[in-house]
Amino acid sequence: MGNKRINNLFLNLFVGWCIALFSISSVQSQEVGGGTLYGDMLTVTQDMLDRAASDSNNFLHTNGNYKQTRYYPARQINVGNVDRLQRAWTFETEVVESLETTPIIVNGVMYVTTSFNHVYALNAETGQEIWHYKHDMGPITTYCCGPNNRGVFPYGDKVYMGTLDAKLVALDAKTGRLAWATQIADPELGYSETMAPTAVDGKILIGTNGGEYGIRGFVKAYDADTGKELWTFHTTAENSVGVWATKDATGRDMLRDIRAEKAALKKLGDPYKTLGGGVWQNMAIDRETNTVYFVAGNPSPDLYGAIRPGDNLYTNSLVAVDLSTGKYKCHFQYIAHDVWDLDAVSPPILTTVVDDRGNEVKGVLHAGKTGYVYVHRAKDCSLIRFSEPMVVQENRWVLPTPEGERMLPGANGGVEWSPMAIDPNLGLAYAINLHQPMTYHVEATPYPGGKLWLGGAFKVIAEEQQWGNITAVDYNTGKIKWKVKTEQPMIGGILATGGGLVFTGEGNGWFRAFDSKTGELLWQYKANAGVNAPPASYNVGGNQYIVVGAGGNVQLDYKRGNEIIAFKLGR
Amino acid sequence: MIGRLLNFILFVTFAGATITLADTNTGDEYAPVADLLKSCQVCHGDQGASTEQQYPILAGQEFYYLYVQLKDFKSGLRANPIMDPVVSALDKDQMQLIAKYFSEQVWPDTEYASDDQVTRSAITVITAGQCIACHLGKFDGDSRVPRLAGQHPEYLAKTMLDFKSKSRQNSPAKGSLLASFADQELINVAQYLSSL
Repeated sequence: MGNKRINNLFLNLFVGWCIALFSISSVQSQEVGGGTLYGDMLTVTQDMLDRAASDSNNFLHTNGNYKQTRYYPARQINVGNVDRLQRAWTFETEVVESLETTPIIVNGVMYVTTSFNHVYALNAETGQEIWHYKHDMGPITTYCCGPNNRGVFPYGDKVYMGTLDAKLVALDAKTGRLAWATQIADPELGYSETMAPTAVDGKILIGTNGGEYGIRGFVKAYDADTGKELWTFHTTAENSVGVWATKDATGRDMLRDIRAEKAALKKLGDPYKTLGGGVWQNMAIDRETNTVYFVAGNPSPDLYGAIRPGDNLYTNSLVAVDLSTGKYKCHFQYIAHDVWDLDAVSPPILTTVVDDRGNEVKGVLHAGKTGYVYVHRAKDCSLIRFSEPMVVQENRWVLPTPEGERMLPGANGGVEWSPMAIDPNLGLAYAINLHQPMTYHVEATPYPGGKLWLGGAFKVIAEEQQWGNITAVDYNTGKIKWKVKTEQPMIGGILATGGGLVFTGEGNGWFRAFDSKTGELLWQYKANAGVNAPPASYNVGGNQYIVVGAGGNVQLDYKRGNEIIAFKLGR
Repeated sequence: MIGRLLNFILFVTFAGATITLADTNTGDEYAPVADLLKSCQVCHGDQGASTEQQYPILAGQEFYYLYVQLKDFKSGLRANPIMDPVVSALDKDQMQLIAKYFSEQVWPDTEYASDDQVTRSAITVITAGQCIACHLGKFDGDSRVPRLAGQHPEYLAKTMLDFKSKSRQNSPAKGSLLASFADQELINVAQYLSSL
């Protein structure tokens, strides 16, 4: 090696060291001074979380705020200039697989997760990596619909994540080092975690997947400092029989054989121990009434109802519990004794709604897999109205047969786990929809001990056309305000902003912005993979950004990738 | 197959003394199951890299899937005349060690092919059955879901047809789904998966 090459080597090392030093100090300065209006700018305080709905700098909650409106108030990017929106940076994760993460932004630092539970902290202004955490996955995982993760939740000096092997982990937000981990439930029995937790008042709230495996669903609260379990609410009641409801929330007969079910109940007893009722998505928190609202998913097994007589409470329900104790407050069941897996998955939203007497009341919105938006009174969970159907309804509720019966919506629903957004100023809820014709097949199947337990099969009718919609629903009337048809069924999520825009992505890689009043397409960007994750927004250095994951989706087999893409206005 | 079965019976009868196998090189961790691993390799090939169509490749298969299959053979949930006597005396630790050993081996290169017509037919079935939602996009599997990519087509076809006919019952959801497809469609899927 000659002297010149040695000199060049030292020069390169010195330059690299200077760049690294500058990068670190730049990140640190942003962590401290990146600009939130609230808090001490070092940790995520309860006050910051409570004020998140009006915070135009950070994005602290999976769905924007405790009410889960996914309405971001910043308006720097708006209907008048969104055509100038440009890619600011792209970060490539190590994992090329479904991305369902909602980026969380705290004082200029972004936290994203990937399939198989990797977590990245990034400089939100540049996309540079600050740290990378890989969960030490146990050998046993049991999950439905992909090795997904929907993000972290920041609280204090930590970020929290649920894992595929059914753990809750707390990481040091500055370093990514593991602070503690606790086992939530047994993955061998079908429990897993893909949802982001929710932190409030020193508690970390989390539900569970497993409705396809005969679990007993729950929401649990853990101590944020220690990981100690504080309370559990089981989503399958010990008396799960209910009132033998014959009609669903929209008044349609579900063709139940009540006599046969009552005979089965005598013979088999209450099925609550393996009845499913997963909770896939974050809960809304009413801070005024100390109430937690969430939706519980399908009963197990999905299609074979004869083995689980009764209404199967509280599956397919909106449920409210007390934040301090986990005690039941109220519920509303959309489909009693569901045998179609058209359950309740998309996270509920708290907002003011007009009731059936014309009075403004505190309400809860939920987009069902049935393809309707349901509007409830928050005080007792009762139903005020349901919207016009956002998707084609055909042959509902034909009973599954061994040979298969065609029905729409298909079993991925008219709305999947994808969160809605609302614009409270317009009184509109924005949902993304699927049109996927399927046949429903039933087969008598005893509990298989933690294995996939569908009690039959769902089959996509390959020769029929599929598509999607983006739909705006007036939640005070139930009328559809506008609807945009998409090339493919939609899954991922949507964001509304104070700039009069809604952002959402598609499986074909298009990420688009629409006028939230009219549905007019205003801007689009083609990513390298499906954009099937909920977008977020934030402000750093005086610029508003829109950010979204483009990693495709395993459930609908949309092209996989590994990109986190941030956008800001060009000049 | 009968020849292999006879060899296997001889091996079990004489505790491995009569058959010379490739060095298993199991190391201390697998010493408690070293003889058992040798017996596995009579049919499943060196390090589980089976070269015979009717015996599945175990090398590089998912640990938890292999462990569950051993448990199911033992409990009778999955019936098989060759495996039943092998697993009857195994305890949980032995089953886990055997599963771990094979999961840590390298999946062998196989050179199966699938023509366009077979591939089109297979993809139609895979789309209708939403197979990728569990087996993942490359059919590599994960944990309790087995790798199918590159597996022997004869074994894959027999497995699916056994699920369809209910002669294999240890994954009931699989049986319900596969019952809705024609035999030839499943054979095409097997050929396609083996080519991945």
